[in-house]
Amino acid sequence: MHISEGVLSPPVLVVGAALTAVGVAMGLKKMDNEKIPRVAVLTAAFFVASLIRVPVGPSAVHLVLNGLLGLVLGWAAFPAILVGLALQALLFQFGGLTTLGVNTFNMAMPAILCYYLFGRSITWKHPGVATALAFACGFFAILLSSILLAMCLIFTGESFMQAAKVLVLAHLPVMFLEGLIVAFCLAFLMKVKPEILGVTHAAG
Amino acid sequence: MLLDSYPRLTWGGALVILALGIIASLTLASQVWAHKVNVFAWVEGETVFVEGYYPGGKKAQNSLVEIYNSTGAKLLEGRTNQKGEFSFKIPAREDLRIVLTAGMGHKNDFTITAGDLGGSEPSSDERLPKTREKVAAPSSTTVDMGQLEQTIDQALDRKLEPLIKLIRNTRKEGPGVTEIIGGIGYIFGLFGLVMYFRDRKKGSRDKTL
Repeated sequence: MHISEGVLSPPVLVVGAALTAVGVAMGLKKMDNEKIPRVAVLTAAFFVASLIRVPVGPSAVHLVLNGLLGLVLGWAAFPAILVGLALQALLFQFGGLTTLGVNTFNMAMPAILCYYLFGRSITWKHPGVATALAFACGFFAILLSSILLAMCLIFTGESFMQAAKVLVLAHLPVMFLEGLIVAFCLAFLMKVKPEILGVTHAAG
Repeated sequence: MLLDSYPRLTWGGALVILALGIIASLTLASQVWAHKVNVFAWVEGETVFVEGYYPGGKKAQNSLVEIYNSTGAKLLEGRTNQKGEFSFKIPAREDLRIVLTAGMGHKNDFTITAGDLGGSEPSSDERLPKTREKVAAPSSTTVDMGQLEQTIDQALDRKLEPLIKLIRNTRKEGPGVTEIIGGIGYIFGLFGLVMYFRDRKKGSRDKTL
């Protein structure tokens, strides 16, 4: 999911960086002080998640957790993913500093969409429906990220349909895994600390 | 626990076991990490070997390998085999930049300097002329210099093989625990700082919060 240095052309990098800048600005504006510890914990989770590797054919994919970040953090997922990716680039040489903008956008944009699509509905009364929606959230975030990744790669000469097919197929196990993880995390949070998901406002 | 003993608990419980099981099996079964591609290249005789792999040692199979010279002109290209390896005869004795593109946005490069390529042509490497003189001085018998050098090269390749293997293997290690813990530390420190400064700003404006 991390695009390396020197793969993309400068226009793609600039557009990615600009979009990420806007997203991060939005995220920082919407991130109030009570939310900061939550953002920090999920940034740490995101940072470590990439180390859990899922072997797929000739390549390797890994957990991203962007669906979970979007669900819990909303727009604050942008600064969280930016910080996580910057540290991954510096410490593990995953991705790169020039591709930081594009990579952040590819992972944070689906997170925001998940926030708007599933953010309200996951507090559904029926636990089965809530779990199914949480699974869909984790699944969808990765699906969208791999499609965005494929779109970035068109400009490098790989044909979109081919790149998209390879990427979506490669990330299929991750989609299922992330769906399960988001479902599990949601069930756990609902029981232990529902206010993290903003449930108290809905209920009270 | 008693309060929550309706379906939600079993859902949650089942998911805990499932998710933890998957994560545990993934991390334990294959002690390998993701997610960049590495390239390493070494010279044996007249052949350059290129190896592509992901952190943790998984081979980068069927990846595009391109060889550029120092002026940036492409000399040749090929694809790695099932073992993630690609080899080619030295095309020119100059700095070679080996670029490996593994698809899915993964790319990395490795440079072999003219000195590494060695060989019969005069090299800028300072050690080579010296050894040459040493060998040449006492030999009163007729020894073909080229042959001698070739023999030495072959012997060196043999002797250096375990060393090269060692380097290849050490380079395959994924991120260490130090980096991971350090990264988490950076994250908490950074957000702590953000909170500190925000709190001060807010505190100076209104004391109620």
